Amino acid sequence: MTRVMVLTLLAVLPAGGAAQHGDWSMPGKDYAATRYSDLSEITDANAGRLRPVWTFSTGVLGGHEGQPLVVDNTMYVVTPYPNVLYAFDLTREGYPLKWKYRPAVDPNALGIACCDAINRGAFYADGKIVYNLLDGHTVAIAAATGKELWKTRIADLSQGETTPVAPLVVKHRVIVGASGGEFGIHGWLKGLDLETGRIVWTAYNIGPDSEVLAKQGMFKPFYDRGAELALTSWPAEVWKNGGAPVWGWMSYDPDLDLIYYGTGNPAPYNPDQRAGDNKWTASVLARRPEDGTLVWAYQFTPHDSWDYDAASEMILADLAVNGRPRKVLVHFDKNGFAYTMDRATGEVLVARPFVDVNWAKRVDIATGRPVVDSTKLTGASRGNVKDVCPSLEGGKSPASPAAYSPRTGLFYLATNNMCMDYQATQATRIAGTPFIGANTPYHAGRGGQLGAFIAWDAGAGQKVWQTTERYPVWSGAVVTAGGVVFYGTLDGWFKAADARTGKVLWRFKVGSGVVGNPITYTGSDGKQYVAVYAGIGGDWFLLAGDVRSDDPADVRPPADFISDIGRHTSQGGIVWIFAL
Amino acid sequence: MDFRPLVLALGVTAACGGREAAPVARYAGRVFAGGVAPPAGVPQADKNPFRGDRQSAVEGERTFGVMNCDGCHGGGAVGWVGPSLRDGRWRYGGSDGEIFQSISYGQPHGMPAYGGLLPPTAIWKLVTYIQSLDPPANVPTESWR
Repeated sequence: MTRVMVLTLLAVLPAGGAAQHGDWSMPGKDYAATRYSDLSEITDANAGRLRPVWTFSTGVLGGHEGQPLVVDNTMYVVTPYPNVLYAFDLTREGYPLKWKYRPAVDPNALGIACCDAINRGAFYADGKIVYNLLDGHTVAIAAATGKELWKTRIADLSQGETTPVAPLVVKHRVIVGASGGEFGIHGWLKGLDLETGRIVWTAYNIGPDSEVLAKQGMFKPFYDRGAELALTSWPAEVWKNGGAPVWGWMSYDPDLDLIYYGTGNPAPYNPDQRAGDNKWTASVLARRPEDGTLVWAYQFTPHDSWDYDAASEMILADLAVNGRPRKVLVHFDKNGFAYTMDRATGEVLVARPFVDVNWAKRVDIATGRPVVDSTKLTGASRGNVKDVCPSLEGGKSPASPAAYSPRTGLFYLATNNMCMDYQATQATRIAGTPFIGANTPYHAGRGGQLGAFIAWDAGAGQKVWQTTERYPVWSGAVVTAGGVVFYGTLDGWFKAADARTGKVLWRFKVGSGVVGNPITYTGSDGKQYVAVYAGIGGDWFLLAGDVRSDDPADVRPPADFISDIGRHTSQGGIVWIFAL
Repeated sequence: MDFRPLVLALGVTAACGGREAAPVARYAGRVFAGGVAPPAGVPQADKNPFRGDRQSAVEGERTFGVMNCDGCHGGGAVGWVGPSLRDGRWRYGGSDGEIFQSISYGQPHGMPAYGGLLPPTAIWKLVTYIQSLDPPANVPTESWR
């Protein structure tokens, strides 16, 4: 079963690519976004002997989200703004650079990106490294030489759009989206031609069917009926600045020929300004990669009143649900529910909370709608709504993608244990400035610890084990055939844990908090390596109080809910590689 | 379009022409809030006419919210994705005129130019609000126990 799946995944790698077994050529490891590696040299028995073998300072201090790629004995690293691309030669001692690419990026993007100048990484296809610059451009770089092959403007800074998302490449199509849920963008997904960078199609996430690419007879959502759903679920004109950014992770099922991605929050945060469900914000959309046609969509949080973006990854797996084998999509939403869905139709099969949730009592899988606790509804007319769980950082952050092991049948993910008060206020849309309208201070959830790393059974909708962490956990995960799962913590520990029990087998202090995603690969010597970025940032650049030291003109008091994080970490930007 | 020759030319002129004119030219590459460019060549005062006036500070605080300043600099201007404005420290100068110029014409690294939307009086009241803020008591030079 496992072997068949791996072979299938290898078979659907982009044509012309030189990716080998043991490489890591796309953000989620494979099109199913499993972040599972069948490498097995490092095991639960020997992980305690891991040691660092190489480090590299990127020279950049922004939050180091995303992950390196390894293709053909070369490691590719994209930094946060100014989005330098490094290519390291893994065949030579000290891994010297083959080349580096320094794009000209508009510094104005720093004032348009909501939450630090992060980048979520590149995609390797057909001899090209494809990634997004923060200022609204996609570039394709020749993997062998570092030469820029094309550069396409995809987004408009003046309208609040920035582009930290990692692309997905399917056959000859490069799929990209834009951030800006805090700037009132009109969210979209675009398909570019891999050879030329030409924009082939644009599919909006909100608006009329003609712009959403919801075509009669083609678009078949499981729960909704009727036309113009993404228009009629909004007040007139309001949808034009309604958000629905694309900033998380995309996946692809080659058999169904569907790409899956989640959309972010509706804008503004004050729900009084946008009556209705606000489709397709906070939703998962399934589209055809060739022309963007919408096939189905499902909204996790209708009329989102808590900034519950659905940008988290959609992991594709074959699981037993209620005793029946199903082709599913598994999604851990910011709203605190874990969804197991039929990925052909968009039917919700299981929806259970994976952290403490109080904004909804449950999800009614007959209707697909959450049963909302009306006392937790927010809006400028409702004043300060106290103690909403989870906080808008999410039960899990979309920035920290989960991993799935077909060997254990479990999903592994970083979680947050935070709640919030939510005071919405009237917001004014001024192009190029934030469009938010809420003040949302956080506090620790039940138990007092701010995070945990957990294992989840998505067929049953149950937590299998958890390791509590003092701080929110904001790293992605990777799990291996050796039975080891890796993750990092906000106070700068990189950890290896037993995938069956959660027992921490090994840890190492990596110099700055981890908000990136570990990968594992085979080196030119045939050994298994594990790589991860250190470099606290992303939302923690905003939230953590004083974790910077480079700007003498910006000093801040510690955040009250995480007052001593500055004792353990400051900003940094380091690539780490470990091995036995 | 490359604005560098223009900026250089105007910069030299400004340097020769005295302080009032100096900042006027340096905003061509900025983001304009609402897409409206600030008027060029308007001479600005060096001194905040409302400095210390409580009512002006209250009006400035309202503008700080309405114009979405808090979306980047945080509620109370304590710092968010943009820097703190109440720590007594300034990237681009903290004199009355320098704060005015930063708001009106923007700054590199993302500060939008608001001079196209806000009249000088409203900007001076924003300056008054920012100047009214006390630095936080608990600064990060503290020790941990």
